[in-house]
Amino acid sequence: MYSRMNFLSMIASVALFAVLPVQANETAKLATTMEATLDIMYLDAYKDYTSAQRQDAVRAIVEDQYDLEVLIRRAMARNWSLLTADEQMQVRNLIDQLIVKSFVEGMAGKDRPILDCGAVIEVTSKRIEVPVVISFPSGKTFNVLYRLGLLKTGWQIYDIVAEDISIVSNYRQQFDDHFRKGNGAQLIEKLEKLLKQEELDVTTIIL
Amino acid sequence: MSQRSYYKRLFLQYCAFALTLCVSLSTGLAEGVYDYLSEEELYGDFEEEPTVVRDPLESVNRLTFKFNDFIYMNVVKHVAEGYQKVTPDAVERGASNFFKNLGYPVRLMGNLLQGRMKGGWLETERFVVNTTLGVVGVFPAANRFERLQPLKSEDIGQALGAWGIGEGPYLVLPLLGPSNVRDLFGLVGDRAVNPLKEPFSVIGDSRVRTAYSVTNFVVKSPTLMRTYSQMKDGAVDPYSSMKNGYSQMRRGMIKE
Repeated sequence: MYSRMNFLSMIASVALFAVLPVQANETAKLATTMEATLDIMYLDAYKDYTSAQRQDAVRAIVEDQYDLEVLIRRAMARNWSLLTADEQMQVRNLIDQLIVKSFVEGMAGKDRPILDCGAVIEVTSKRIEVPVVISFPSGKTFNVLYRLGLLKTGWQIYDIVAEDISIVSNYRQQFDDHFRKGNGAQLIEKLEKLLKQEELDVTTIIL
Repeated sequence: MSQRSYYKRLFLQYCAFALTLCVSLSTGLAEGVYDYLSEEELYGDFEEEPTVVRDPLESVNRLTFKFNDFIYMNVVKHVAEGYQKVTPDAVERGASNFFKNLGYPVRLMGNLLQGRMKGGWLETERFVVNTTLGVVGVFPAANRFERLQPLKSEDIGQALGAWGIGEGPYLVLPLLGPSNVRDLFGLVGDRAVNPLKEPFSVIGDSRVRTAYSVTNFVVKSPTLMRTYSQMKDGAVDPYSSMKNGYSQMRRGMIKE
């Protein structure tokens, strides 16, 4: 009897996994990635790391799990096609660096927050959302919603909504306003200037 | 059951398992269950339309933004840092709670104008508990009661939005920062219902009124600067970032 039940449940679970892309794991994957990036900031093993070393370590973790180009291209939207292939690559790399630098410098000096990842919300078969509550020991909490889309490369983050503010929409507005008068070269110049700024603090957005 | 027949049965079970896996996967693919987001869906303007903000006064707004930025970075930032340096955290929290509690009339009116009687009643209960048990609002005593957890803040601008009044053109107000025509009217309404602020202030002495306003501003300055820095830092165009962030935030508050 037990053997038959076991066999049936095995078939049922296989059928279920074949129909549903593995969404439930996305919460765990996101939580693991976020915790791993926080480890770089807070564990004793990394205490001698310079800011640049931390940025490299954080980038390696994030890029191992997610393709940041999805977020960047979504923010650029129609403006992406206004860039040459070379500019696209430069913009991608610069924004990538900016995101990681903002995270590392924004978290410096702050106590480690506690992450509470909620259950996956299925928007459509191709889009899901993962709500995360980030609580700092100071008592401040932030509600962040991670939006993921199903791509051939797996579930990728395509937007982050922090306290009702979508970063894709926010950056899209900035890029739209920029390209009304400016061009790709000027955008690259602005991004390079931003990267040279000593302190960046956009923790609520990037987390 | 002999060992041989047991292994035979086990072998058959795993054959069936493999077969089911293949059939399920092929069915899933055939039915388009593994339908990926297309380039158009992912990178085009799909369901989350970018937040469109009407900004016909952009040139004036940008100038005001620059002026505000200068004041924030050269005056407010230092005020906030100085205040945080000389004030113990507990005192800072207490002062913040005190002024937040005094914002009760605005929150009450914001709730009532949206027909949120329950919200208005809860705000009243919170105000009474915080003012009495919480020693004039210094301690958030109401938070200790499960039923009296803090509500999302409401104001008259939100009520106007909930009535369906459009936000109108985006504005940057001198010193006050981002707003829009609807929220400007809301701000006037907020002041009118607040008995501690002009034009209908119950504080007769203008020096006391000024002291109240200055202290309130100083207490709020660290939060103001934190929010300002978070929106500004990392922005390709801080003005656009602020415009979009403010509009998204207000729309979100009204939708709730």
